[in-house]
Amino acid sequence: MKFLLNILKGKWLGHPLHPILVHIPMAMWPGALIFDLLSQWRIGGNAMVRLSFYAIIFGLAASLLAVPTGVVDWSGIKKEKPAWKIGLYHMILNLLVALLFAINLGLRTQTFREATRVAGAPLLLSVVGTALLIGSAYLGGMMTYTYGISVARMSKDKWRKIAEAGGANVPPE
Amino acid sequence: MLKDFLEGKPLRHPIHPMLVHFPIGLFILSFVFDLASLVFPFEPYLLRDSFYAMLLGVIMALVAAVPGFVDYTDIRSDHPGKRTATAHLILNLMVVGLYGINLGVRSSMLVDQRIRTGPFVLSLISIGLLSASGYLGGRLVYDQGIAVGRHKRRTSTPQDTLYFSAADQIGTQNREGDVFFVPIPEAERLGDRETLRVDIDGQVMAIAKIDNQFYAFQEFCTHRFGPLSEGCFHDFNVQCPWHNSCFDVRTGKVTNGPAKVDLKTFRIEMREGKVCVGVPLAGGKSA
Repeated sequence: MKFLLNILKGKWLGHPLHPILVHIPMAMWPGALIFDLLSQWRIGGNAMVRLSFYAIIFGLAASLLAVPTGVVDWSGIKKEKPAWKIGLYHMILNLLVALLFAINLGLRTQTFREATRVAGAPLLLSVVGTALLIGSAYLGGMMTYTYGISVARMSKDKWRKIAEAGGANVPPE
Repeated sequence: MLKDFLEGKPLRHPIHPMLVHFPIGLFILSFVFDLASLVFPFEPYLLRDSFYAMLLGVIMALVAAVPGFVDYTDIRSDHPGKRTATAHLILNLMVVGLYGINLGVRSSMLVDQRIRTGPFVLSLISIGLLSASGYLGGRLVYDQGIAVGRHKRRTSTPQDTLYFSAADQIGTQNREGDVFFVPIPEAERLGDRETLRVDIDGQVMAIAKIDNQFYAFQEFCTHRFGPLSEGCFHDFNVQCPWHNSCFDVRTGKVTNGPAKVDLKTFRIEMREGKVCVGVPLAGGKSA
């Protein structure tokens, strides 16, 4: 169990895994929206419609991996910290976004092979999904850049040595 | 002003790490299409889709490079992360260059059924370099703490560490028992709530100017050893950029966790009109 947790936290890689994996949905879903919009202006024809469809699938596949790694990182935060609540909102929003894109994908499966233009309902879902995703990603970034979640978690021994060499007071190990 | 904007201060979030999702994701998507064209050669438009994903990836990479370069110039020149950042920058330029060539090579092959060896190998190499570069970028954030909490500090951060030795004060009047007072000429040029990062015989400290008073305290936070010379100030408290521990700069006492251990502080005195910081000879080890 502990072994699995360490894999999900990215200890073997020396880098937290969740922020790596999120690049895929984070690029795919706004990308799908861009391709949807391009198809509205009749750019690219069926190639754009397909591109958008595959981008949504690829994003969903990667988000399946991003969820457990994110939950593990979040479970390491103490409940009384502000980052815990932000993480909770981040998670709820992400699940909602993934659900919206799953529905979005379902609406396209019948038509994506021939259509040269993405229909209104899936386009709307892409707009809403992307907007919520950006909000959620901002919260995720806040956890790193404002609250330092996962920062110096794996490098703290290295920094301790640097601090000790610099004559600093340090806590007992 | 533009620099502050590109560092994401108005947004309270660095901009480069937001934008990099797009090139990384799109380049990988492009590669997935290349692979798909090998597996499903009768599926139409795969190489066209690969081309468009790559094109959008290159555009977004160029956009991301701008705030990335600004963040790069902001890293202290002797920071252990600076070399990682240089490697990250060079790798990224190589990746964008390779994708530029790749786009040129492919533009005449959009109607092919399968990806040809040349552009496929180019993509493969680029994905390898991109993964390495992305990994280094992540290490910059999660190991070195680059850009973490940077948006909270409104003034510029030290660009270099300044080196001094208490031994230079032997035989001068700047001595009280074991404590030597080392003049720091650069301190006179500090603006309000600006800092210096100073190393006196291996003792590393931050010197801050708050309301025309100078305060000197150890550089490293006592939680995970974040750089306090890059922290921000609330009244007489310095806040660590990483996990927001606060310390009173006058006494070194913890005023907010997660840190539990107080900072070492150093006396500052004006001597003959110069800002001097008091340190025991040999950085506190022995006189």
